[in-house]
Amino acid sequence: MSNKVAIIASNGGLFDAYKVFNIATAAAASDKEVAIFFTFEGLNFIHKQGMHALPMPAGAERYAEGFAKANVPAIPQLVEMAQELGVKFIACQMTMDVMGLSTDDFIEGIEVGGAVTFLEFAKDAAPSLSF
Amino acid sequence: MKADFQLDAKGLSCPMPIVKTKKAMAELVDGQVLEVCATDKGSKADLIAWAETVGHQYIGMIETDDVLKHYIRKCTNDRTEEMTFDQTIELEQVTNREGLILDVREEAEFAFGHIEGAKSIPMGELEARLAELDKEQEIYVICRTGKRSDLAAQKLVLHGFTKVFNVLPGMTSWTGDLIKNI
Repeated sequence: MSNKVAIIASNGGLFDAYKVFNIATAAAASDKEVAIFFTFEGLNFIHKQGMHALPMPAGAERYAEGFAKANVPAIPQLVEMAQELGVKFIACQMTMDVMGLSTDDFIEGIEVGGAVTFLEFAKDAAPSLSF
Repeated sequence: MKADFQLDAKGLSCPMPIVKTKKAMAELVDGQVLEVCATDKGSKADLIAWAETVGHQYIGMIETDDVLKHYIRKCTNDRTEEMTFDQTIELEQVTNREGLILDVREEAEFAFGHIEGAKSIPMGELEARLAELDKEQEIYVICRTGKRSDLAAQKLVLHGFTKVFNVLPGMTSWTGDLIKNI
């Protein structure tokens, strides 16, 4: 049985972030080796400022209250927890180049790599997920 | 119910009860029981699945006033040494005989299901509670799989008990009625 979970985060909304980090932290807490490849808008999740202001989908603002009521942790908290649990973060070099970003724009403890870096990790992962 | 550690995960939503449980479990030694208090209804299915995935024993859950109390026993390094106590008895036989069924599992495991008439003395309390046992009576020592009861039977013999039998296999194979005190 594979002990790896590979995740691609390629969308940058608040809902997308929860999907990514809930699965990632749950997997890591279940003793899985987890890596997330952040590409395109997904880079928002580990961007020092961006992660604090992730947009809700248009028309979904009414769920803000639900998030507060359900006592859902904020994304920066989930990010920190994921790192604590040993989830590996890989930022996509190509997207960074396109967007003019450098590692200084991102939180500590990330790796930068290309598609092959992710594929190498994901080759024997099950499941591989894309959000 | 008695547990070695308590974790308060009330008010937390997925995946926090799992994450906190994982962290809390690191503090336990093998064989100890963790009580997780949660309000997340998803924890009902999730903690069972989590325990299954990582190899701990999910004992059971009590639901009271919107709080879910889960009991999980740590078994990361399940003992692999051979069972050595050679006076054994088959599980099907124990209820046909006159002696005492001595259940050496943890209190929570016992509470979630035991054989009618069995006496509970958790393995860790056995030496302190020998006075509760009768040397003249046959004693059938039982646990979940036969490993703890193997050690317990050896302990009893060391203390002068002779009519001691290890029940094989353990409660995992019991198909008769289960008495619960929860």
